[in-house]
Amino acid sequence: MPGLTADSGNALVPLSPEAHVSVVYPLHHGLKPPISRLSISWSRGNALRVSVFRELPAESSDSDGEAGGKVVQVKLGVADGEVDDAQWRRIAYGSVSPFALLQSRRNSVLALSKMSMSSSPYHPDWWEYVMEYSKDISSLLDNAKSLPNSMIDDPKTVLKKVEEPTCLKAAWGLLEIFYADKESQAWLPERIVDWLADYDVLFSGTQATVHSKLVEFQKEIVRLQVIEDDPRYWEVITSALAVGWLEIVVKLLRLHGSYQLDQLSNRETENGLVEAVAILISKMPRMRPELEAGRLGECFKTKPDFIKAWEKWRAQITKLDCSSFWVQCDHRQTREGLRNMLQLMLGNTNNLCTSTCHWIELYISHFLYVRPFTVGLESMHALAQKCIQLKPISSSHRLMGLIVGILGENTEVVLAECSRAFGPWMVAHAIELLTAGSDQAEIILQEGRDNLGGISIEELHRLIYAQVLSSHALTWQIAPIYLTSCMKQGMGLLEVLLYKQPVQDNQMLLKTTEICRLYDLESISSSIMKIAGVYHWKHGRKGSGVFWLQQARDEFRLNRIAQQLFDFVGRSISDESFKQWEGLIELLGSESKIAGGLDFLHKYRDFKKSLQQVQVGKTTDAAQQAVESLISLMRNPSTPQRFWLPLLHDSLKLLSWQERPLLNANQTNLLLNKLQELSMARLRPDFIEANLPPQALSSVRLALATNLGRAILEE
Amino acid sequence: MEKSLVTLDNGTTCSSWNYNGERLATGSVDGTLAIFDSIDPASSSFTCTSRSRVHEDSVVKVVWVPPEYGDAVGCICADGTLSLWEEVVEDAQPLQWKLCKSFGSNSNKVLDVQFGVSPTSLKMVSAYSDGHVKVYELLDPLELKSWQLQAEFQNASDSVSTFGKALCLSASVSWNPQRGESQQSSFVLGFHSDTPQLNSAKVWEFDQNHQRWLPVAELALHGDKGDQVFTVAWAPNIGRPYEVMAVATHKGIAIWHLGLNPDIDGRLSVERVALLSGHDGEVWQMEWDMSGMTLATTGGDGMVRLWQSNLNGVWHEQAALEPTS
Repeated sequence: MPGLTADSGNALVPLSPEAHVSVVYPLHHGLKPPISRLSISWSRGNALRVSVFRELPAESSDSDGEAGGKVVQVKLGVADGEVDDAQWRRIAYGSVSPFALLQSRRNSVLALSKMSMSSSPYHPDWWEYVMEYSKDISSLLDNAKSLPNSMIDDPKTVLKKVEEPTCLKAAWGLLEIFYADKESQAWLPERIVDWLADYDVLFSGTQATVHSKLVEFQKEIVRLQVIEDDPRYWEVITSALAVGWLEIVVKLLRLHGSYQLDQLSNRETENGLVEAVAILISKMPRMRPELEAGRLGECFKTKPDFIKAWEKWRAQITKLDCSSFWVQCDHRQTREGLRNMLQLMLGNTNNLCTSTCHWIELYISHFLYVRPFTVGLESMHALAQKCIQLKPISSSHRLMGLIVGILGENTEVVLAECSRAFGPWMVAHAIELLTAGSDQAEIILQEGRDNLGGISIEELHRLIYAQVLSSHALTWQIAPIYLTSCMKQGMGLLEVLLYKQPVQDNQMLLKTTEICRLYDLESISSSIMKIAGVYHWKHGRKGSGVFWLQQARDEFRLNRIAQQLFDFVGRSISDESFKQWEGLIELLGSESKIAGGLDFLHKYRDFKKSLQQVQVGKTTDAAQQAVESLISLMRNPSTPQRFWLPLLHDSLKLLSWQERPLLNANQTNLLLNKLQELSMARLRPDFIEANLPPQALSSVRLALATNLGRAILEE
Repeated sequence: MEKSLVTLDNGTTCSSWNYNGERLATGSVDGTLAIFDSIDPASSSFTCTSRSRVHEDSVVKVVWVPPEYGDAVGCICADGTLSLWEEVVEDAQPLQWKLCKSFGSNSNKVLDVQFGVSPTSLKMVSAYSDGHVKVYELLDPLELKSWQLQAEFQNASDSVSTFGKALCLSASVSWNPQRGESQQSSFVLGFHSDTPQLNSAKVWEFDQNHQRWLPVAELALHGDKGDQVFTVAWAPNIGRPYEVMAVATHKGIAIWHLGLNPDIDGRLSVERVALLSGHDGEVWQMEWDMSGMTLATTGGDGMVRLWQSNLNGVWHEQAALEPTS
């Protein structure tokens, strides 16, 4: 099922086939109607060619100057606005070696486990290989167009953008977090916090997000005189805090007017409160092994340590919240803003809800401030459901379907979402992550299914991806890597793919046959070379034709060619044509066992050469040599019978040599016997009459009889 | 999404791409056979490299000969004649399309012709307007002019009885695309005729031992056996334990599974796994993709429809293409 971009009924998503409505795409051909008929043909891979024929105008046939039809090509299932063609090809080429490496590791691990008869098919550290693979793939998905990175750290630039992230990379990241990265399973919530920090911008396209709020505010920031008077300042800070972007929050807090030297003295208490909150934020306990340099928070690797720190931290917040200093703070916005932040940090659901935009942001804020110990997909899923209820989404984003599928622990839905939203490349490569370490997913994805003709879902998606690769002249050559990783049908598809490669260009042909050799596809290789041989033979390049037919070991056609040569030779040949077929005999002769009869042609060539010399020089020596050739030809069992007469007829001059008889009595008898045999054979129905004058036989007989007489006399 | 490849001559009636999609042959009302090639392999636009007048009547169908036998096409004309044309260089003459063989029509028209490759020879099945089927065999693999009639029969399950005076409007032949060494030659054939017994699609297989063609399966449910068949298509099989075929009648497009192992009578088991409706009327053409997973169809509603099976084995329409100017 080469996935079309909008296939909704592709998988086990509970969608009854009756409810399935297929999408109608327009196919622009630019012809003036009416259209009389269509014709379709599959080209390489999943490219479909549609011929559109216009109805012939009633009277004047070509007066309207319109074309009679068009052929339009449509590529199915490859459209993705986010990544352009060249970038796709870069990703396709780049993912080959990580994929191949992982396959070869799997094979060796499987071989090892078979030897040691261990119960688990995989190495305990298998996921490390998968992680390495995942990192390699992920690095390919970086966007080529990086945004210019400013060297000067502007204190008013709260939001730094390094590169425009892609949904593709975000989706890959999610799969890696949930399936491949076993090491960080214990701090899964923190990984999702990081993930959202990187990709929140992706959701800004369809609706407001914390990120889009920050971007908006960033534009305003330089124009604001007294930043803390602006309610948006506090709104943005709280939002950023809700999703855990602590560095941004602290940076924004430090823009507070009370930090300015000229105001510090008047607003001492106020500044003290702002700073206290900033310090609390920067000391937030995080359950994770480490944080990158410059990131705020204190890391705790183990749960008990973390719980202890978290309780302590919350106690500090509560203490600050109850502090008497608030009364002394005159600036209302600051007072309210800061206390709001404290409430949020204490996990006040209302505050979290109002300061986040998207349900996923609300979800993240729960991990940070309400339920940092959330473990297990079941509870994570329940929480997600709750957040979606609180913040319903109007338009569904393609990443959302994936997240919900992952949390719902439904491998098939995840796969269907990957296929629907990100296409065949994604599915073929993501399966490696899905199967990593999950026995259940492995069973679902790797068991053969009758509905799929005996193949597994994993194999199906590799086939589909290989078919997409086959659609393009620049990518078909990497399809074999994926096809050979398929247990059941990969080789079948590879054969079809190779068979359809053009053969006219020798360079291409060598490449194709090399691929055949690599994968032991001898019969397909011979078919391809056969096609090439016939093509060249029919197009006047007889030498190339014979060469490729020999490579294909096509005895059937080579014998036919030898027959054609015999026929050609059988006619009395002129000197010019002699040269032409001489070359061919040379070529055919290099592997004489293929066409046994060609041995004769070699001898015949030698005979013909000496006969020519006789004609030129007329020396008796040369004539004697020609006779030897003739005798050896006539003795040779591989000389076809129908050549006997032409041979003898060509040698009439030798048989009746003026100076002396060139053949002795024995030799003459041999030739006469052959002639007798020939006369008998003529009576059979399948006898092929040589193209010679009618009196040829009698003149040869006469010459032989005369020679016999002379020879006997001489002896 | 779409890309224009070729602009066709006025009066073009049919077209056919060769096995690797690098050459297009078209036929037109004035009996012209035109060949389009891509001059520059890097570009994707095709230009006409040859125009030959093959007949005084309109060409209605062009079929490529398998590439192992050269660059050649069979042209069926409106008067029911069939001629084979080949691109060759002969005796220092330039490259040209030459007539290799004409199969003249007396009263019976050729309705469809398809070529099948067996390990040793090229076979040609032609279906005639009187409901007869002829299988020819090529005698010389390098000469497309020497054909021998191997068999002639009617498309009936019961090979004994004959049906006289059938009148057929159209026929559709599709060879088993598999070209393995061990593979027996087989094809599926259906008629659109006034004789119910001849209509339903039947799978014919060559019985090597007795040198004859035998019907090994009938692709029609009990009540549908007389239904006129618009077109048939045999899917490529890259490793399934059964064959897949599509048969279009006025009831819709039926997808059939055909077992690979014959029973004691030599018959193959068949199962209709889907009946798809969409074109509301005549189905013109059906084509399977290279993996045999997607079926593309065109029909009287002027649409191109794409059909696939989902993971549960349920067939459905995946997408449709609507030609617009």
